[in-house]
Amino acid sequence: MLIFKGITKNYKEPVLGPIDIDIKSKSFVSIIGASGSGKSTFLRIASGLISQSSGSISYKDNIKPKMGFVFQDSTLLPWRNVLDNILLPLELTKKINPESLEKSHNWLERVGLKGKGMSFPGELSGGQKMRVSIARAMVQGGNFLLLDEPFSALDEVTRRRLEDDLLEIWETNNITVLFVTHSVTQAVYLSQRVVVLSSGPGMLLEDLAIEKNFKDGFEETPQFLSQVRHLTNILKEEGGEI
Amino acid sequence: MIRYLSYIAPLLTFVILLILWEFLVILNKIPLYILPAPSDIFSSLLVNYKDLFSSAFVTLRITIIAFAIASFLAISLAILFSQSKLIELSLYPIAVIFQVTPVVAIAPLILIWVGFDNAEYAILILATIVAFFPVLANTNLGIKSVNNNLHELFSLYGASRFQRLIKLQIPFALPFILTGMKTSIGLSLIGTVVAEFVAGSGTSTGLAWRIIEAGNRLDIAKLFAALILLVILGIFLFLLISYIEKIVLKKWHDNSIR
Repeated sequence: MLIFKGITKNYKEPVLGPIDIDIKSKSFVSIIGASGSGKSTFLRIASGLISQSSGSISYKDNIKPKMGFVFQDSTLLPWRNVLDNILLPLELTKKINPESLEKSHNWLERVGLKGKGMSFPGELSGGQKMRVSIARAMVQGGNFLLLDEPFSALDEVTRRRLEDDLLEIWETNNITVLFVTHSVTQAVYLSQRVVVLSSGPGMLLEDLAIEKNFKDGFEETPQFLSQVRHLTNILKEEGGEI
Repeated sequence: MIRYLSYIAPLLTFVILLILWEFLVILNKIPLYILPAPSDIFSSLLVNYKDLFSSAFVTLRITIIAFAIASFLAISLAILFSQSKLIELSLYPIAVIFQVTPVVAIAPLILIWVGFDNAEYAILILATIVAFFPVLANTNLGIKSVNNNLHELFSLYGASRFQRLIKLQIPFALPFILTGMKTSIGLSLIGTVVAEFVAGSGTSTGLAWRIIEAGNRLDIAKLFAALILLVILGIFLFLLISYIEKIVLKKWHDNSIR
């Protein structure tokens, strides 16, 4: 469990908060909001990449979870092949061991890129690059995955496939996922809970538990559509560009 | 077809220009000491090949050594800049001063300092100064151009400064470094030739000296022959670096693949 208390972030002016929110272990939480609502800033604070101006983050049993981060672009190193890209976190944290390569191969297979280990990022499609990026974020065996609008540049079909793959990874690995997106339908489709931030400075507008069943066709149910409509209306009332 | 055309078109143009040149010289009976025909230049190249090729080798040797020293120093300095803003702020203006000062203006000074007996060292220093800046500026730019998300990725995994430099900044800057080197290799040749000119007779045995010597004797065909060798050297060096760039970046960058 992660507990964010009174989190704010100020640059020249306030961009975020104060925000109070709890993220339960093994939950899938999406954050949506208008442009400039501080969604990505919140994610970066959660990951420890930047520090909050005020407020505190506490962890269950005071142990900071091991985190993986997937950026909006795939952030692969173009001079390294796919396997070496996946191995990067282990290299940087000096945790390379005889099993590392096997772990990388396993993750490569899990994201559907078996046999692509020796390819270079320049030889992959946008969707494949994002899959490598997810494998890299997971290879350390982390239990908290943060994603910052990772599928926004992908076409509809690829995006849907990756969303389903992400759900499968979440379900089978017992990880916590914090997912930033500007797509209401994506947030409702993926998450157990959707947090809506107001336009700058981003504050909590809505914290909606998604009623869903994980069977196929959820996005065609009235339940899904009403929740999408509800969140869209909140964002519309708030104004600003999504 | 377009691929072949890119070779054939300039070659054909060049051959047509040479033929035109040949006929214009013959038809207008232009004297040899004003403008020799391409055939005269080719004959001169054959007759003087020993002198010219040994001089070309001297120029080539100094050019490559100067280029190597300049590249090494420039890359090292750019790496140093990336580690300390204070060092960059302190030293970059000095590098710019060297860049904007015409090499001809400082050549006599360098020659005096190293001594006329060591003219080759003076030429080497001057060529190094000329070749230095493009590599420095491009490496510096390359290191600074690293995508912020990539920096964040390395921060997320607690990368040390050294890891960040070796595994991110230098590889990322490599295309920039090689672009700088492509400019630098040509400048190194120009710097060598200019320095040879300034060093003057008796002290230099490079192609520039052959050009001065041929000019003094009104042996314009030989002068052209030396000039052609210089052009060939320049093109050869540029193609060499371009080839190295292609090999090194073959699989690294999206735009090199497509």
